[in-house]
Amino acid sequence: MKALILTGGAGRTLVPFSSTRPKAMTLVAGGTLLERTLAHLREVGVSDAVVVLGQNGEKLRRFYGDGSEFGMRLSYVEQERPRGIADAILSARQRFIPGEYFTLVYGDVLTSGNPFHLALQSFNSFKGPIAGVCLPGPPTGRYGNVYMRGTRITKIVEKPAKEGLGNYVLAGVFVLPTEAFTWLDEVGGDMQRLFDRLSESPSFHASLWEEGWIDVEYPWDILAANRMVMDTWEEARISKDAVIDNNVTISGPVRIERGSRIKSGAVLAGPCYIGRDSYVGNNVLVRTHSALGPRSVIGYGVELKNCVLFGHSTVGRLSFVGDSVIGESVDIGSGTMTINENMDRSPVHVDIRGENFNSGLAKLGAFMGDDVKVGASNTIAAGTVLATGTTIAHNATIGGGR
Amino acid sequence: MCGIAGVASFHRIDDRLFDGIHHLEYRGYDSCGVAFLTNAHIEVRKDIGTVDEVNNKESIRDLNGMVGIAHTRWATHGRVTRENAHPHQSCTGDFAVVHNGIIANYKALKEELRKAGHIFHSETDTEVIAHLIEDNFAKSGDVERAFVDALQKLVGSYALAMISTHEQDHIFCARHESPLILGLGSESNYVGSDFNAFIDYTKNTVILDDGEYSILSKDSYSVKNLRSGEVVDKPVTVIPWDPELSKKGGYAHYMLKEIHEQPLSVRAALNIAKDEIGGLADLVGTARRTTLLGVGTTYYVALYGQYILAQLADLDVSVVSSDEFRHIDRTDCTSLVLAISQSGETYDTLTSLRHAKERGAKTAAIVNVVGSSMARMVDRVILQGSGPEVCVVSTKAALVQMILLTRLGLELGVRRKVITPKQRSEYEVALAALPGEIETLVNEKSGLVRASAYRHAHTTNWLFLGRGIYYPIALEAALKMKEVTYVHAEGMPGGFLKHGTLSLVDDKLYTLVMVPPASNTELYQMTMSSVEEVKARGGFVYGLTFDDQHGELFDDRLVLTHSNELTAPFLPLVGSQLLAYFTATALKRNVDKPRSLAKSVTVA
Repeated sequence: MKALILTGGAGRTLVPFSSTRPKAMTLVAGGTLLERTLAHLREVGVSDAVVVLGQNGEKLRRFYGDGSEFGMRLSYVEQERPRGIADAILSARQRFIPGEYFTLVYGDVLTSGNPFHLALQSFNSFKGPIAGVCLPGPPTGRYGNVYMRGTRITKIVEKPAKEGLGNYVLAGVFVLPTEAFTWLDEVGGDMQRLFDRLSESPSFHASLWEEGWIDVEYPWDILAANRMVMDTWEEARISKDAVIDNNVTISGPVRIERGSRIKSGAVLAGPCYIGRDSYVGNNVLVRTHSALGPRSVIGYGVELKNCVLFGHSTVGRLSFVGDSVIGESVDIGSGTMTINENMDRSPVHVDIRGENFNSGLAKLGAFMGDDVKVGASNTIAAGTVLATGTTIAHNATIGGGR
Repeated sequence: MCGIAGVASFHRIDDRLFDGIHHLEYRGYDSCGVAFLTNAHIEVRKDIGTVDEVNNKESIRDLNGMVGIAHTRWATHGRVTRENAHPHQSCTGDFAVVHNGIIANYKALKEELRKAGHIFHSETDTEVIAHLIEDNFAKSGDVERAFVDALQKLVGSYALAMISTHEQDHIFCARHESPLILGLGSESNYVGSDFNAFIDYTKNTVILDDGEYSILSKDSYSVKNLRSGEVVDKPVTVIPWDPELSKKGGYAHYMLKEIHEQPLSVRAALNIAKDEIGGLADLVGTARRTTLLGVGTTYYVALYGQYILAQLADLDVSVVSSDEFRHIDRTDCTSLVLAISQSGETYDTLTSLRHAKERGAKTAAIVNVVGSSMARMVDRVILQGSGPEVCVVSTKAALVQMILLTRLGLELGVRRKVITPKQRSEYEVALAALPGEIETLVNEKSGLVRASAYRHAHTTNWLFLGRGIYYPIALEAALKMKEVTYVHAEGMPGGFLKHGTLSLVDDKLYTLVMVPPASNTELYQMTMSSVEEVKARGGFVYGLTFDDQHGELFDDRLVLTHSNELTAPFLPLVGSQLLAYFTATALKRNVDKPRSLAKSVTVA
């Protein structure tokens, strides 16, 4: 069976990270979202995939190439303008042989286990179209309702009218016959009508995903996704090519990649991840759920906690980065503090494209896009978003949300 | 209690035999094994662990043979060791036996055989049977004769299957007080503890009765009476269940699947003919007293029945847990004993029914499994038709049993002029709406329950409170939580708080309260006063409520929507099933096979 992977989502609310990369290239726990999806597909024997590219798709294509490095055969289709899911699906139509079934995957969701295993198992027992569904918990307005009778899907409402529901939603995993391309074409590329048509058939079944599932929609979802993956780690894994000084404390599931150097006095509390060729200076404290991408440089006495660094970034000495996401090639000056809570411990709010969002989180730091430069001795308020390429002078205080 | 499977075929049987015990694992799963006839000798492979684990160690599905038997064990006599796992062989290895049940006189038999020179390798009662048959065979030289003579010496309960190198095409099997059925396939015949052992291959079954034995080969079978040796003409029963249904299809666990299947099961229960319910009502109506019997979940179902029969039909029935029944059984020929059981094989309930029968009482049962012992032994049975329930923890079967008791209550209510036929039809409309309400609940609220379950999964002590008819519901809900999560959960009536329990309430003890609709003013106010009592002591309250009033009293809650007070209690029941399920997944429990629990408890 072949897979069709959609990576064209614009990620409007995932700023500042989505402005320079497709959502599927978001890094959590040392790997991109798409890397995990590909690994899951390979595990169930799906090794051929067509990837639909959207904005910044070239970056993705360069990274994955023909897929051989990831044990897959990948080919690409470009979707020139973001015109929604239906258009993305139809753009790959020519790559699939009529009369077969294929796996349709939304490339920007993350699961804590392998959802294809269950979906294909359901497919094998029902021999009909399958939609993976899950329970993300409230609020679920943004994913639609899936209604079931037994395991049969009787109705999918894309834009639910009822509020306060905690319903089943589409998990972004489907097994569909190639006729679905024709049906989708016949209903004018309207997903809701495709779902209606599928739901009318008595053979459309759900595959219920009971483990973790996250659609990375807002920047703070990256932290939740990172935590979800790291919490499945059970053992430490340290490359034989890592150089670890005396007097370094390592506890819990810590992963250290090749070429990394950990200097004396550092404390690494797992789960945490140190990408390849990174430098962790003397007396650095890396607390749980911190993920450092490749070639990170962490200066003397820095404290990191529950944060994701995409890589190629520097954090200057005696800084604190907590509950934050730092893009690629960011330079944080020494003595910089990310503040990660409001004085009254109320949920941190974040401004995204001029709109104020309640993250619902009592602890949340800053989000810095690629190529940001922060001078020395800065204080950055909770919920601050720094756009790609922003430069902050020395010794300033940066506002942020409430 | 254990699971038995056996196949005799023209073709290799290793896969089918493996599937057979795999599907029977819910009956017990501490060890398993297989015995095959191959090249004129018997090859046995067995060990401790689940079927998959043993297969990894012993490759039990890679044996070339066309006749074989298999067993999955839940220890009763003897520890969980490889030696004690079935099949058991005789000294020469010419006979191999698998067995479910208890041989009461095995010690005496063992002593006798030991004196005759037999050497035993296990602590089980089963091994005695193999040696006994071998001993008999040495005298008569006839396998069937040796088998029958051995059975006649056994005291106790058994379902067993045996293969022998002296009859290489045949499987010998027999039952006495433990279930065993035959499956008739094309070019193959099967034997199993229940039809899960062969449901993928055939739906044609022959149900053995106590005191009968059978000889199977790949293309024939016969059933004979153990005493007379006469051939018994047995009807072939076709199992109506779709084998696809008894698989997990799409769900991570059977438990969630079965929770989701409840609307279908309730619809099926509402479609059971009025005459069936009427027939049961006749029995209740003519009896001077009625006793409802159940154990575990079905005891709480019976307790629900007590409330609903009192409320709808002004009828005073007693409820006894079937494991206690024999101690207080005072039934006579004017009594009716109505038993409730999913499997129809529950040991305690079967024994209690026999006890009551001996005292001359009439018996009836509500049972899910067609052809089960209970279904066949009572004067009147209602087959609930809920489809196979595979998860060890009962959900849909219990709910449907409550629905059937409600229907019985309505019928008796009209007969006894407690409710008018008009009221009954209103209630019937409410029942008809219930499947839709459950469907909406699981479709639209599961995410809220899941989020709550994950938030509260760290809790180690739960109190489940209900008043009135919500009391048995609270008991059943607490049992669900306990069974599947291993977290302590205690159900009790709200009124018990003042009698000692309040002293336990603090911020670490979580209390789940089933609040009735506000339209039931008295019950509502009494329940809310329990909520306030817990709150006043700083307790955490999770509410299952029908309105969103008094937000300050609940730390967390699930708001349900009902249409009628009769059917309202079933909604918090389903809500709490979901809570138990999601708590179990949050705690990474083995949901479908919780520890220390088996599907049909067929031992004392």
